[in-house]
Amino acid sequence: MTQEPLIDSAFLQKLERLAIQWQKSFPGLVGGHNTSRFAGPGQEFLDHRHFHHGDDLRAVNWRAYLRLEKLFLKMFQVEPRLPVRLLLDCSQSMATGEISKFQYARRLAAALCYVGLVRLDTICVQPFSQELGDSFLCGGGRHRFVSAVNFLTNLKPGGKTNFFEIARQFISKYPQAGLLIIISDFFDENDSSRPLQLLADFGHELMLVHLWADEDREPPWDGLLDLTDAETGSTLEIGFDSNARRNYTAAFDEFARGVQRIGLRNGGRYVGLSTNTAIEEAVFGPLVRSGGIQ
Amino acid sequence: MFFLNLSLPEFLAILGSVSGVVVALYLLDRLRKKHIVPTLRFFVPTEKPPELKHRRRLQQPWSLFLQLISLLLLLLALAQLRLGSPDRSSRDHVLIIDTSAWMNARNGQVRLMDQARTAARNYVRTLPSSDRVMVVRADVLATPAILFESNRAKIQQAIDQTQPSAGPLNIDEALQFAARAQRLRAQRPGEIVFIGSGRIAADEVPSSIPPNFRYISISGPTEHVGLRKMGVRRSADDPDVWEIFVAVKNYGTKLRSVPLVVRFGGAPAGTRTFALKPGEEANAGFQYRTRAAGWLEARLIGADAFSQDTRAILELPPRKILPVTVYSNQPDLLRPVFHAIPGVEATVLPTARYDAKLNQGIVLLDRFSPPVPPTGPSIWLAPPERGSPITVQSTGTKLKLTQWLSDHPLAAGIRTKDLEIATSEVFRPAAGDAVIAESDGGPIIVARGGKSQMVVFGFQPVLSAMKYELTTPLLFANILRWMHPDTFRSWESTAGTVGTINVDLEAELDPSSIRVVTEEGQTLPFTVEGKTLRFFTATPGLVRILTGDRELVYSLTLPQPGDSDWKPANVRYGLPRRSPIGQSSRDIWQWLAILGAAGLLIDWLIYGRMRRMVRLAPAGSRSALWRKAS
Repeated sequence: MTQEPLIDSAFLQKLERLAIQWQKSFPGLVGGHNTSRFAGPGQEFLDHRHFHHGDDLRAVNWRAYLRLEKLFLKMFQVEPRLPVRLLLDCSQSMATGEISKFQYARRLAAALCYVGLVRLDTICVQPFSQELGDSFLCGGGRHRFVSAVNFLTNLKPGGKTNFFEIARQFISKYPQAGLLIIISDFFDENDSSRPLQLLADFGHELMLVHLWADEDREPPWDGLLDLTDAETGSTLEIGFDSNARRNYTAAFDEFARGVQRIGLRNGGRYVGLSTNTAIEEAVFGPLVRSGGIQ
Repeated sequence: MFFLNLSLPEFLAILGSVSGVVVALYLLDRLRKKHIVPTLRFFVPTEKPPELKHRRRLQQPWSLFLQLISLLLLLLALAQLRLGSPDRSSRDHVLIIDTSAWMNARNGQVRLMDQARTAARNYVRTLPSSDRVMVVRADVLATPAILFESNRAKIQQAIDQTQPSAGPLNIDEALQFAARAQRLRAQRPGEIVFIGSGRIAADEVPSSIPPNFRYISISGPTEHVGLRKMGVRRSADDPDVWEIFVAVKNYGTKLRSVPLVVRFGGAPAGTRTFALKPGEEANAGFQYRTRAAGWLEARLIGADAFSQDTRAILELPPRKILPVTVYSNQPDLLRPVFHAIPGVEATVLPTARYDAKLNQGIVLLDRFSPPVPPTGPSIWLAPPERGSPITVQSTGTKLKLTQWLSDHPLAAGIRTKDLEIATSEVFRPAAGDAVIAESDGGPIIVARGGKSQMVVFGFQPVLSAMKYELTTPLLFANILRWMHPDTFRSWESTAGTVGTINVDLEAELDPSSIRVVTEEGQTLPFTVEGKTLRFFTATPGLVRILTGDRELVYSLTLPQPGDSDWKPANVRYGLPRRSPIGQSSRDIWQWLAILGAAGLLIDWLIYGRMRRMVRLAPAGSRSALWRKAS
């Protein structure tokens, strides 16, 4: 059975005029479309070394050759390139819903990858559930997009979300602050706001993309329900009616507002998306309006 | 109130089954449902603990009630619940379709029969579905095509297969048949409907019209000239001459001039132009000489809306010649006798040339006894005593002829008595032999039947006193007719139409001597009343009437349209609007079906998925607000 492509070429063409935007200035975080107070790579001279076959002739010190008749190669101090980091929730809760949030998140991540690659940004896709998974780093132009899509396609949902552990591991793994895009439903058995605040406190600029399915926000069922938590496996027998539905929706909205507050109060951005919204509409609508991409 | 399609047990069985399925599906739908959710943190238990809700308890009884009521209504619609009493619900109609020959006439490009079929279909459409219809095809006979039937497809098929015949319309018999069928077979008589042109003979107006009669008239062309009759027979004066008789009638309302052409084997045999007033019938006679067999055709020249009776064809048989071989040493004696009988060809040979293999037809042996007797019919005149086929008792002189066997065909019409025969053999007839003439000395003319017919004279009639009597040629003619009746049988042919045929006989005949046979050899029943023979056939074709020495051939292929259109007064005309006779029951299945469907729709709107869809719509708008806020 052929798998449906994450993103089609017509949509990719539309994405080429967009660029990922961030508000803070981070050392090492470069991009042709962002101005920076830091010097760029290759500007500072570091040392000389002997020329070896295959070295770039443009870096040869021709003055030294004329004087010494030996080839010396100039070496510059290169600034490390800091990628845009994209945390992708791969927990089991993302696999629920009539329209899979996980699939929706992968397509959204693919769109953001392409936007970044087109603008010569470096993107680091970091999947997570209860801990960080293997990351994927891509940069250098749009021709690397295929490998990014392959990486996203091979991801599988599973495990339970543990934002505390994620935040801890992320800070350890990526000590240098940068733009951090988190695509998740932010459902955690524990409170997810404190780990997100911790990431912001470590200097990361957060861009929270909050996904939910329609039934996550307003369950359509009535009567006796036998509910099972997708991540923990715990069950709940409940009589569900219109009053209960109203209470549920109010609680969900309060939760979403909490995530939004975390994102906005630290100078970041928040985008809430229903999986019922088409990807194209989500990118050119809420994401663009939030200023995350322009 | 009753069901038209289902019986009550069937209805209850289906209702019970469907209701059981609905209740089971309802309970299954209302069972506790299992769902996997991303988190349980937002689900707050309701005030009533779930354990208090029994799994089989009806949570939405009004929904179940509405569904069951809707299904009941739909099932009642399927069963065709009707208001009224069942015995008064349906009626049995008789649909008489005119299939007379006139229905072949064209009204422009369309045949009258096609118009009649269309009208019949339209009439059936106006009837309620429960009404039964009997289709009767009426021409000379009223033939039921289908008995009382409510299946519209079968009725349609019977109507579609109806074709015009070659006979005239007998409307009286059709109406009587329809009334009788309704009386005997109908549960509740409906209408008797006649669809057709109603073209009948002037003397065939029905005696009585049923009160429930309806007439759907198919109007056809009014102007028509056709052959009424055609006959042919041999001339009494000259057997080689045919006398042809043709009758032509103007059925229309205008003066018509119509040329008639008679052809034999394609060659013209006569022409005549008729100037016919409206309703006038004219005759024409022709004579045509031929010995050959062939087709005699009479044709009216000119276009006509009804072309079936503008041409008639009769088959003329060849002239039959009876050969007679005469062995006599005095040839001039008998030659005049045979020359006096038409249709006989006599060959006179001397007795020395007798050869049994050369004998043709009837053999006459004049005072001669051959060594090998002839195998066929033979006439012996004064045979030698030794070779006589009838034992000679004695030879007498001056015998007085005293008696003829008058009831034998050989002696038919012979009255001569007291004739003195100079010399004659007196026979001793065997058992089965017929003594045709007897003298005071004993039998002198004896006939023997069987395979080899023979008549034996004890004397030579031409050499006796009978020579000058009319008895001699008459007796020989009787002998030849008795031995070979086909040659002397008079032959007539008439073209007519099917139906009841009246034949005028020349004399009152014994019915046992008459045969009426079709061309397939089947015998038709007939009656004889005085000098009139009457038989009936509804099948076009040849019918032969054999009455001894006479053969009449009827070629019943000439259709005969009626003289006038039948227009009865005080009857209903045309198609009924709807339901020709007031109904005692009323269809309500349409309303039941609508109510049932409405019930299911309401249930779906109030309790079904539609409600969930409507309920989810504001959620979408709220999520849009969320996106704007973000």
